[in-house]
Parts: sequence; C-alpha cells; structure tokens
Amino acid sequence: MTTPLLKIENLSATVGGKKVLQGLTLTVNAGEVHAIMGPNGSGKSTLSYVLAGRPGYEITGGRVEFQGKDLLAMEAEERARAGLFLGFQYPVEIPGVNNVYLLKAAMNAKRKAEGKSEVDAYEFLQLVRGKMKLMQMDESFLSRGVNEGFSGGEKKRNEILQMLVLEPTLAVLDETDSGLDIDALKVVARGVKTLQSADRGVLLITHYQRLLDHIVPDQVHVLARGRIARSGGKELAHELERRGYDWVLEVA
Amino acid sequence: MTALPTNRDENWRYANLRPLARARADNARADNTRPELGPHDLNLPRSLDGFERWVFCDGRFVAANPSPDSRVQLLDARNAGESFAALLDADLAAAGVDFSLARINAARGDQVVQIEVADDSPALQLELVFVATAPAASGTSYPRAQIVAGRNSRLTVIERHLTAGTGAADADTDSVINAACDVSLRPGAVLEHIRVQCGGARTSHFDTLIANVGENATYRLRTTTLGGLTSRTTAFIKLAGRGARCEFGAAIVANGTQTHDMFVEIDHAAPETSTREIFRGIANDRGKLAFNGKMIVRENAHGADSDQSLRSLLTGAGAEAAARPQLEIYTDKVRAKHGATTGKLDEQMLFYLLSRGIDRPQAQALLQWAFIEDAVSLVPVPALRQEIEQLIAARLNSVNSLGLVDLP
Repeated sequence: MTTPLLKIENLSATVGGKKVLQGLTLTVNAGEVHAIMGPNGSGKSTLSYVLAGRPGYEITGGRVEFQGKDLLAMEAEERARAGLFLGFQYPVEIPGVNNVYLLKAAMNAKRKAEGKSEVDAYEFLQLVRGKMKLMQMDESFLSRGVNEGFSGGEKKRNEILQMLVLEPTLAVLDETDSGLDIDALKVVARGVKTLQSADRGVLLITHYQRLLDHIVPDQVHVLARGRIARSGGKELAHELERRGYDWVLEVA
Repeated sequence: MTALPTNRDENWRYANLRPLARARADNARADNTRPELGPHDLNLPRSLDGFERWVFCDGRFVAANPSPDSRVQLLDARNAGESFAALLDADLAAAGVDFSLARINAARGDQVVQIEVADDSPALQLELVFVATAPAASGTSYPRAQIVAGRNSRLTVIERHLTAGTGAADADTDSVINAACDVSLRPGAVLEHIRVQCGGARTSHFDTLIANVGENATYRLRTTTLGGLTSRTTAFIKLAGRGARCEFGAAIVANGTQTHDMFVEIDHAAPETSTREIFRGIANDRGKLAFNGKMIVRENAHGADSDQSLRSLLTGAGAEAAARPQLEIYTDKVRAKHGATTGKLDEQMLFYLLSRGIDRPQAQALLQWAFIEDAVSLVPVPALRQEIEQLIAARLNSVNSLGLVDLP
C-alpha cells in the first residue's frame, strides 16, 4: 500500500486556550481532491493554519503525517519546501516586497532544498509569464508589492499563481472561492485543475458548494465542533447546499 | 573655546558625544607627520554620469573633475563664514548649544567648498566626496560646504562622507568628523540634496546643516546614515518665504553597537509653507537610533501644511529606537499630520513568507528591506539609489542572497 499524502490522526489543537480542533481524522491520498465544508467557527481555518505551521496554535493531541513524515515537527518553511502549500483566506499585503521577488525567492528556496541550482532569470520570467496568462493577470502585478492594493479577487488569483509556480504536492486552499465573482471563480478553478495530477492532492476548504461545480471532489467532509462530523461523495455538498449545516450538527 | 553639548542638553539626549570629546580637537590637517594622500589612496566610489566630482580628504580639497560651467570654488574658511551668514539669513554665531559644533567647525576648519548657482541657470549636478583618513589622535576633520541655489535654478548636490585608511590594515580608522553644511535656496529654486554617510566601523561622524528656503523654493533632502561607530546629525531648516517647501527623507540602519542620532527642526516661518518628512530606521543587534523631528509653525504661517511619518523597526533583542515628533504650533490655520511608530517585524507578513518556503533570516531581511525602501526610493539619482540599496543590502542579513538588488 502506498503512503498517503496526508494522514491526520485524532488531531486536537487549542488557540488562546480555546479548543478548536478536537480529534480530527482525515486521509488524503495522491491524486485526490478533498473538500472540507462546515459552518463558521467549525475549525476550518485553524486546520489550514495548523497544517501550514502558523505560530499561536497549540497541538494538544494526535499527529499529522505528510508523505510519511511527521509534519508537526517541521518548521513552516520546511513544510512549504517539502511540498505543502497554503492558499490564504486573507492573503497578507506586504508593501515594498515585489511579487516577483517573492516568487523568485520562494522558488529558489524550494530548488535549494531539492539540491538544484538557482533558477535562470530568463527561464524564471518565461515560466511566471505563462502562469500569469493562465490566471489572467497583467504583468504589471510582478512589479507591485505583494498583494498591495489588490482587490479581493486579485489576491486570490495571486495565491493560485504562487501555487502554480511552486507546484506543491499538497495544496490546502482556505476559502479561496470566497469573495470571487463567477468569472474569477472559473479562473481560479482552472488554475487548480492545471495543478491536479496523479501524484498531487488538493484540500479545498470552502463554505459554499459552488466551487465544487468547477473542481469536482473525490470526497466531501463536514467539519463541525473541531472534528469530521460526516464524510461522503460530491453529492454531500449538494445536500449541504440544500439543507444547510444544522442537520449534520444534529446528527453529530 | 565653544563648549560641546552634553546629554543633558534638550536636543542631545541620545547622541554619543564621547568620541568627539575624546578626539584631539585640532584640525587633523595640521598633523604634518601623516603622509599626503592622493585620490588614488582614497578608495573612491564609482563616479556618476553627468556629475562633476570634488574630492576632499580630512576636510581639504584633493581632486576634482569640474565641468566647463562649474560653479564650485574653494574658499579660505576665515573669509567664508561671515559673507555666507548674511546670505543665509541665519546667525551662525548664535549662542545656542545646538550650533556649537558648527561654530567649532568654523573656528577650526581651514577650507570651505562653495557652490553658487546663478539665477535662472540650467540644471547642474555635482558630487562632493569627503573622505576621512586621520585617526582621532591626529585631530578632527572639519569639512564644510556652502550651497547657494539662485532664483529658479535647479541643482542636485550629492554629499558623501566616507572613511579610508592609508592601507588595508588601517581601513577602519577611528576618524572623528565634525562637518557643516549651509544651504540657501533663493525664490523658486529646487535643490536635490542627497547625503550618504557611510564611514568605516570605528568612525564618529557629526554634522550640522543649516538651510534657508526662499519663496516657492523646494528643498529635497535625502539622507542615508549607515556607517560609523556613532553619528549625530543636527539640521535646522527654515522655510522663510511664502510657499517654501521641504521634502525630507531619512533612511538609517544601526547594526552591532552603532548609535545614530538625528535632530531635524523645520521652521515654518511664512504662509503656505509645507513639509513632507519620512524617517525609516532599523535597529539591529544592539544598535541604537534616535530621531527627533521638530516642527515649528509660526504665527504668520497661515496655511502651513506639515506631514511627518516616523517609523522605526527593532529587530535585535538589545536594539533601541526613539522616534519622536515634536510640534510647536502658534497659529490655528494649519494642517499638521504626524505619526510615529516603533515596532517589530509584522508576524503575519513573516508567516506568509515562511509559508512560501523562504528561510526565516531571509524573510526577516526581506521585510526589513521593504520597510526601509520607503525612504530609499526617494533618492532621485538611479545609479546612486542602486548603490545605496547595495550598501543597505550588505547590512541586512542575506538580502543579497535573494538577488533583490539586481532584479529588473
């Protein structure tokens, strides 16, 4: 049996003393797309931050393996270089750091970890330009500060652009669909589909079903009170859209 | 002899004055036991296209490549002071302790470089390079520049302060510099004044700047303070004519045990005068920096408009920063905006960069870079700006390895 891409076992975490994750178990295999849905405050964003290694979360139980390695023992930057990518729900604005600097530094960090030489400047620009075209982003974005003055939709596209440049093994996308109009949603979905392959996995964290019309998940999970309350196929998302979350919470 | 200020004096609380007090006060040029240095001994930076360059060693002229229409002349210090005081509408002999270093400079210095641009003259660009070589035991360097920008003239002056030893082993000499600069802008003049202080690790740099800005003239002053064991800049800028404007930007990095202190007073003494002031300082390791930005708005300065943005970043456990806006406003009809913050690196920004796989030291350096770039980007000469960026990059751990400076 092959090693799962991501194996979360009985994970519990607190933030500021408050229990947010309470025994969450989830496995994502290579080639799979999983969607995590759930009401506000169910722990969706906490899960994404805990996976990415954001400080401020205390792990109180359980373990997480990423490609068989102990993910929680790794620093945030090591996780990224090992192939984990977090698409932020609220991407941070960093005035003064150009997008192109960030992309290049991130790409070279990953290449260095893989024992490769730094990317050639020309090849790098060609690569980035190609991905930007796919994301329908103007080249002027390259010389602008990271997310500085970007609209909500532009920030989300920029997240997906970074993902496409870094080519992660596992992409965790935290409400990448929120705040997008239908055209932007299609562009984002196209970006994610470009990345999909037999050896990669995607964890889509979303509040709404509509993204799942464009990226069809293999499994849908409902997160409630810090654990998976229910799992099913893509039809579960439709049921949630129709009936809301309350019935799942009642059953749980 | 004029007494030195002390830390008990109001505007001098943060300055490290010990090296000045300890150094021999005689003009370093008077020490005949030291060899005469030529321009080739001085490790000069690459010259800039379109700029005529004047090079000074320990306050005295050594070389120049003047342009045919050069407006630069060298004056004997004994004759320079009084004629200029009249031009400046400033009393250089003022008794206040804030001017005592300038008075000492006038008394001890032997040469003044004067730039006088005629009314309506075409744009002129020049660079003054002051190199300190003398050890403190030999004496103190007293460079002095006087700049007069005539009516509606356009002038760019780069003022650099460097240190060079007489040999490699001597490169970090403990030179002490007490520099002075007097500036007068006639009505409608625009002066870009770019100062770069990049002395060696053991240098102590002190300077006093006095400027008088006439009607509808614009004084753009961009300072970068990087070098030396310690530095102190004292600046008095008087917006004397209606519509006079000052745009001031300071970028300062204090590494190791460096102390940088800057006092800048901008006096709005006429109606509709305006100021834009940006200070960005980074204190690493056990570095200390202080910026005191004083704004005075006189009773008659109706419609004055001042804007101060003072920000310091602390990145070392033992680092200290004090950036203070200080306002003295004597009329109601003004706009005065000021903000001062001292903080650490933004944790959310840091995590965002880490989550992209960037090393922590690199991520920190990148954020420091972004922080100070606000002020550096104001330097209007691209080749010099790039040089300053490289100097700063070399001081911020591993920015170089990101290849930031050479990117398109």
